[in-house]
Amino acid sequence: MKTLATAVAAALAAMALGLPSDVTAQERTVKITGFGAKSGVIRSFGINSEAAMLAAAEEINKAGGVKLADGSKAKIAVEFLDDRCNAEEGISVIRRIYGTDAIVAVGPTCSNVAEPLFGILQKKVDDKGDSGLQMPVFTDVAIKGGLAKISEWAFRNVPSEFIMYSSLYYWLKTQYPDAKTVYGGVEEDFAHSRALWYSVMKDRAQANGYTIVGESKWLLNDANFATQVREMKKVNADILSIAAHPFTTCGLLKEMKRQGYKPKVLVGLTSSSTSETLQGCAKDVEGMIIPTSFAPVNKEAKFAADQTAKYKGAADLHSMAAWENMFILKQVMESEKISGDKSQVQADRRKIRDGLAKLKTTQGLLGVSKRTADREADKPYLFVHAKGGEWKVLHNPL
Amino acid sequence: MLDFLQAVLDGMLFGATYALIGIGFTLVFGVMHKINMAYAAASIGGAYCGLLILQVMAGASPWLVFLCAFASGGLIGYLVYLACFHFIPLSSPLATLMSTVGMLLLIDEIIVHATEGRALGYPAVFDDVMLRAGEFSLRGDLLLVFGVSVLCMAVLLFLLYKTRLGLATRAVSQQPVAAQLCGIRVTRVNAVTFVITGLLGGIAGAMIGASVGALSPLLTVPLTVKGLIVTVIGGLGSIPGAIVAGLLVGAFENAFQVLRGVTERDLYVMLLLFAFLIFRPGGLFAPKGGGG
Repeated sequence: MKTLATAVAAALAAMALGLPSDVTAQERTVKITGFGAKSGVIRSFGINSEAAMLAAAEEINKAGGVKLADGSKAKIAVEFLDDRCNAEEGISVIRRIYGTDAIVAVGPTCSNVAEPLFGILQKKVDDKGDSGLQMPVFTDVAIKGGLAKISEWAFRNVPSEFIMYSSLYYWLKTQYPDAKTVYGGVEEDFAHSRALWYSVMKDRAQANGYTIVGESKWLLNDANFATQVREMKKVNADILSIAAHPFTTCGLLKEMKRQGYKPKVLVGLTSSSTSETLQGCAKDVEGMIIPTSFAPVNKEAKFAADQTAKYKGAADLHSMAAWENMFILKQVMESEKISGDKSQVQADRRKIRDGLAKLKTTQGLLGVSKRTADREADKPYLFVHAKGGEWKVLHNPL
Repeated sequence: MLDFLQAVLDGMLFGATYALIGIGFTLVFGVMHKINMAYAAASIGGAYCGLLILQVMAGASPWLVFLCAFASGGLIGYLVYLACFHFIPLSSPLATLMSTVGMLLLIDEIIVHATEGRALGYPAVFDDVMLRAGEFSLRGDLLLVFGVSVLCMAVLLFLLYKTRLGLATRAVSQQPVAAQLCGIRVTRVNAVTFVITGLLGGIAGAMIGASVGALSPLLTVPLTVKGLIVTVIGGLGSIPGAIVAGLLVGAFENAFQVLRGVTERDLYVMLLLFAFLIFRPGGLFAPKGGGG
C-alpha cells in the first residue's frame, strides 16, 4: 500500500513539474487549424479538406504522434473553420486562428481569399517595421498561380497549372497532330477560371504552336449556354478548352450535345476532375481531359482516399494536398524540434515557417514534389479523362 | 443578323423558365399584396425533393420526378406560408418581406448542406429535340416549358374566375375585411393560395432543372431576381403579364449578351426594370382589380 502511494505521489509530482512521462505525453497536443469554404456552393471543398486533415491526423496519431523537442510525443489536434470563400471572412478567420494556440494554418479554399489573406501576413520575416501577422499558412486548395510570393509566411502545396497545361498541350500535339486550333470557354466572374484561361491555357496553347481562334464567356451561375455554343460551333476549333467549374461545365456540355457540337478534344479545368462533374453530367463529360495532381493510382494514394472517405470526404487533387500537408508538417515539426508548449506558440510558428522554407522536396502521394524558391510546389501530375462514369488515368507524362 | 435573331429566340425560349417563376410571385402578390422572396428558392427546393424519388426508385421516369417535385412544392409552399405569413402580422409589409428573405436564405442553406453545394443532374424530357424553322432552331424542352407556362396560366385563370375558391380569393384580394364579414376564411384562402403557388413552384423548379439539366443552389438567387423583375415588368398581380415579361426579359438578356458581352448583360436588364418603374410603373398588364 505504501509502495502504491509512493508511486502515485511520484507520478503526480512528475506531472506537476512538467517532466516528460508516458502519461503526460498522451495528453499533449499540437493544434493545426484548417480553414476553407464549408458553406455556400463550394462547401464540398471545405468538407473534403477537413476530412483529409482529420484522416491524416488520425494516421499520424495512431503511429505515436509528433516528436517534440524534449523527446516527448504529442498528438495532432485538428480544428477546421469556415471562411465561406469570402475574403473578409477569410481575414477574420486567420486573425482568429492567430489568437489561438494553433501553430500552423492549412487553407484556404479560394484564391480570392488567399490573395488578400496572404497580404495581411508579414511580408518579409524579421522586418520589424511590418506588423503583419506572423502565422505560417500552408495552402492546400487555392490554386491561382504565384500567390505564395506575397508573404514569406505563405506556403502552398498546390500543383502548378502552368506546368500541367503546358505539358498537356504538348502531349495533345503528339496525340492529335492534325489539331491546330483552340477555342476557350471561360467563367468570367470566377478568379480561378479567369486566371486559368487568360494566363495559363491561352498562353500554354500558343506556346505549343496552337492558334487561339476565339473565346466565349459566361458567369458562374448562368444556366443558358445556347449563344456560347453557337459561337463555338461556328468556329469549330479542334480543341475546346473549358475553364469553368462543374455546374456551368455540365450546362455547356449539355447544350453542346443539343446543338450537335463535338470538338476533337475537350480540355477541362483542374477543379472539374471531381465526382461532382460526374454527378452532374457523367455522359456529357465523357472524353474530357484534365491534368491533375491526384488519382488513386498507387497503394498510398488509395489508402489516403479510403481513410478520407471514412470522414465523409472525397479524395481529389485539393483534398489530397491537405492530406500531404499534414505529413509534411509532422516532418517539419520534428526536424525543427518544436516545443509544443502553449506558452511558446509564436516561437513554434516561426520554427515551422523556417522549416517549411528550408524544404527542397516533399513526399507526396504520387511521388516527390519539388519546393520552389517562392514557396510553391512543383508536384507530380498526370492526365485523367472521363470514361464510363469515372475519372481514369489517360497518361502519365512523368 | 441571323445569329442575333437566333440568340434573341434562344433567350426568349429560356425566358419561359423566368415566366414560370414570375407567375408564382405575381399570384401571391395579386392575392395578398405581399412579395414572397422565398418563392424561387422554394421552387428549386421542390425540384430537389423530386430527386428523392430516384433514391427509392432508381431509374424512375422523369415524369414521376416532376410529379414528386409538384407535390413537394405544395408542401413547401404551405410551410413557407406558416413560417413567414401565418404567425406574422400581415399589416406590416416589412415583416413579411424580411421573413421571406430569411426563408430564402434558409432554404438555400438547407439545400447547400443537404447536397454539399454540388450540382446534381436532373432528368430531362425532349432535351435532345431540336425543331427547325427555316434558319432557326428551337429547343424542344424549352418549348415544353413554354407550354407548361401557358397551361399553368390557363389553369390559374380558370381557378380564379370559374370556381368558388377563385371567387373567395379575388374577394380576399380586393377587400379582405369585407370578405371576412361575408364568411370567407381569409387565412384559409391565403394558405390555399400558397399551396397552389407552391405546386406551381414545384413544376417550375422541375422544369428549370430539366431544361438546365442540373440543379444547383447557384440557381436560387438569380431566379429570385429574374422572377421579381418579370413580376414588375409584367404588372404586379398579372398572370399573363408574367408570361410575356418572362419571354421579354429572356430575349432582352440574350440580345445584350450578344451586343455588349456577358459581364454587361445584367446591367441592361436592370436598366429595363428601372425604365418600367419610371415610365410604366404598373407594368405591361397592370390588373385593374388587383386579382389575377
